[in-house]
Amino acid sequence: MHGNPGRDAMALLEVSNLSKAFGGLMAVSGLTFSVEQGQLVSIIGPNGAGKTTLFNLLTGIYRPSTGSIVFDGVDITGCKPYQSARHGIGRTFQRTMVFQAETVLDNVTIGQSLHVKTGVWAAIARTRGARREEEKVREKARAILAFVGLADAGERPAGNLTEEAQKRLSIAMVLATDPKLLLLDEPTGGVNLEEIGGLIELVKKVQRSGIAVCLIEHKMRMVMSMSDRIIVLNYGTNIAEGTPAEVASNKEVIKAYLGARRVA
Amino acid sequence: MKIFSPVRIGWSLALILAILLPLVLGEYLTSILLLIAIWSIMAVSLNLLYGYTGQLSLGHSAFLGIGAYALGLIAVKLHIGFWPAFFASTAISGLAGFLIGIPALKLRGPYFVLVTLGFAAIVGVIVLAWVDFTGGANGLAGMPRPNPIPLPWGAELRFDSLRSMYYFTLFFLVLIAAICHRLVHSLIGRTFLAISHDENLAESLGINTMQKKLISFTISAMFSGVAGALYASYNVVISPDLAYFARGMDVLACLIVGGAGTMAGPIVGTFVMTAIPEGLQIVPYLKTLINGIILLLFIIFLPAGITGGFKAFFYRWGHAWKSGKGRNGIA
Amino acid sequence: MLLASGLTIIFGILNVPNFAQGHLYMVAAYLGFYMVMSYATNYWLALVLATFALGILGLIVYFLVFYPIRNAPEVNLFVAAMALLMILEGGALYLFGTETKWFLIPWSRRVLTLGELSLQVQRLIVIAGTVVVMMALWVFIKKTALGAALEATAQHREGALLCGIKVSRISAMAFVVGTALAGIAGVLIGPAVLLMPTMGMGPLLVAFSAIIFGGLGSIAGAVLGALLLGVVESLASGYISATYSLIVVFGIMIVTLLFRPKGLLGREVWRP
Repeated sequence: MHGNPGRDAMALLEVSNLSKAFGGLMAVSGLTFSVEQGQLVSIIGPNGAGKTTLFNLLTGIYRPSTGSIVFDGVDITGCKPYQSARHGIGRTFQRTMVFQAETVLDNVTIGQSLHVKTGVWAAIARTRGARREEEKVREKARAILAFVGLADAGERPAGNLTEEAQKRLSIAMVLATDPKLLLLDEPTGGVNLEEIGGLIELVKKVQRSGIAVCLIEHKMRMVMSMSDRIIVLNYGTNIAEGTPAEVASNKEVIKAYLGARRVA
Repeated sequence: MKIFSPVRIGWSLALILAILLPLVLGEYLTSILLLIAIWSIMAVSLNLLYGYTGQLSLGHSAFLGIGAYALGLIAVKLHIGFWPAFFASTAISGLAGFLIGIPALKLRGPYFVLVTLGFAAIVGVIVLAWVDFTGGANGLAGMPRPNPIPLPWGAELRFDSLRSMYYFTLFFLVLIAAICHRLVHSLIGRTFLAISHDENLAESLGINTMQKKLISFTISAMFSGVAGALYASYNVVISPDLAYFARGMDVLACLIVGGAGTMAGPIVGTFVMTAIPEGLQIVPYLKTLINGIILLLFIIFLPAGITGGFKAFFYRWGHAWKSGKGRNGIA
Repeated sequence: MLLASGLTIIFGILNVPNFAQGHLYMVAAYLGFYMVMSYATNYWLALVLATFALGILGLIVYFLVFYPIRNAPEVNLFVAAMALLMILEGGALYLFGTETKWFLIPWSRRVLTLGELSLQVQRLIVIAGTVVVMMALWVFIKKTALGAALEATAQHREGALLCGIKVSRISAMAFVVGTALAGIAGVLIGPAVLLMPTMGMGPLLVAFSAIIFGGLGSIAGAVLGALLLGVVESLASGYISATYSLIVVFGIMIVTLLFRPKGLLGREVWRP
């Protein structure tokens, strides 16, 4: 499942001719690509190329001007953010977003909300089913925290964590929604050099567990070493696409970057 | 929660006091307690929406009025007994909450606040203007007291006296507070809190924020309606100023001063803001003015309210939090 | 209409819906009333004085209330505005009582008739005054540096900061301008209507409706919205009744919010 865009298997995510206009400005135009099950696809490009806009389109925060998004066989074009999450697309934000005032464990508990079956009446009555579900949710939250390496931080307020730990937490929260595709928007942004390695390992771990990952990053070495495929955006369209090796030697890409940043 | 935690002890003591006080206090003071209980119910219901789900509604006076007038109109004009009318009025308030919530909750931030204010103003206007239906400025009289409830050993629970009405009201206060407590500590309650902290983040995690907000809003409206019906039953007479929007603001002031986002906050706040002015015999006209001043002072200097200040004081050594869970003081 | 522009300014820049604006207008009206009635001040002088007084009041309020809590969660600002409203309303009720007062000036009774239409002179003055103020406002915003700064901050706060614009000073100014506008409105409209402590609420709701209908952040939008809604309100008052006309106006606002939150000329939908 690495590398070859399997033409026999249906892609997990298929984007066709996607575009988004804000007034007169075309943030994204004519974007077409696909992501296979379990792949790690990196999206790179200069600032303002439309990468975060793409994520916003995929998760329903923006409504596309044209084009379609098909996820796992279902057309989800134009659905609302919570619906895209329910279909299995999870997403983290460039600016780390966690619930600062809640404990770490509660953050992950909240992340599971979309799976909670207990209704209002049952919650008020505290039926056995309600209590059992609460326990189940807490167990799963602890498991996820262990997975991302935050096992002992459970009771601390999320606002007290370091930047790197908060990024792990936001990944944990999204994992709690049981996504099939994870969109990570600069997961290593603002993190110390020593800590980046740990986050990279985590992302690889997520991919190994069968979840496809779509990564927005600027750190070239990281992108080159991790990705199955890379998509390069500039001015809202994809100017190149392929394996790391193909992209690295692509003249258009080099021109767009004018000396690609080779950090980390 | 441990069996003998300080919080539980505090609540039990408060409950015991609430039950015993009327037996020793005179009529006047008991009536004050009764009013405090009624407004507390409304404050608790507002707390669910504001303290725990983060939506500031200036319009709950509408539901207060709807609850009161629904009870009155159904009981008086349709000649139905108290109990069916009471349940009907509760249902109607909830329905009103649902219907108003649907458009209002599509908005965020100041728009939502404004629209709820608008609804309150409009309901107030309707109540005043629809003279045939509501009696206009003269109000409605003849609100029923609850019918006697037969007890298994042949006696009856009668509601003619002030004290009995007080216990009746207290019963509902405890019931509603308990329901809110359960709700807030459940998994759904976590969702409410998430929405109050960061609605966008909650939505990105798959939470149908509109639905959850609507649930919170409807329940909150329903309970405010109960408060209205109870007031009507106690006071026997109701007038349009019950639905005047400033009343909603008064209750909000009680809530915030007491500490939104905590279970004790609304009750403490209502108690303080009602008992003290009564004690000082302040003219009613000044009430809104003083409430406003107190609220302003609190929101600038102690946004977490009395209970928030308490918590910060006692738990200073523990966490880096500025105050308890709730809307204010978040890092 | 004046109220609407004042609101737009304050709201657009500070993202604070100044609920108290309506009541500020009420304060101005009363101020003017007392000045003219009790102290026999010239009407026009009273107008100027009241405007100044309200501007200063706005400044005080800004520094005492909104500036200290500017970094608090947004709701706190709403609550503060609400508290202000309560204070003003309670204070007015206490000081002025509940009976209505007539704000009389030399030409109050005079009515101008143009064929079928008969208009109170005062209403004409209101319209004329509004036009004058609107034009002055437009000139100010479009032509002066200060006005440009105001508009810039309204549209993009951080961008303005980066350009070296002193946002806090601008905010304060915005607030003052907004309240001063309320002052003008109060003294202009006061003589045309009954004075009551609760007179601020109706115009406030209409003003907000106008802003939303016309679109946020755009003064032109506020003006347009106010114009259109004003017409609607008059028609409704004529055909139905005055009280229900408020409901009609409000209904329009709700419909707008539900189906076209941007309004007619506004910019971004509210998504904090």
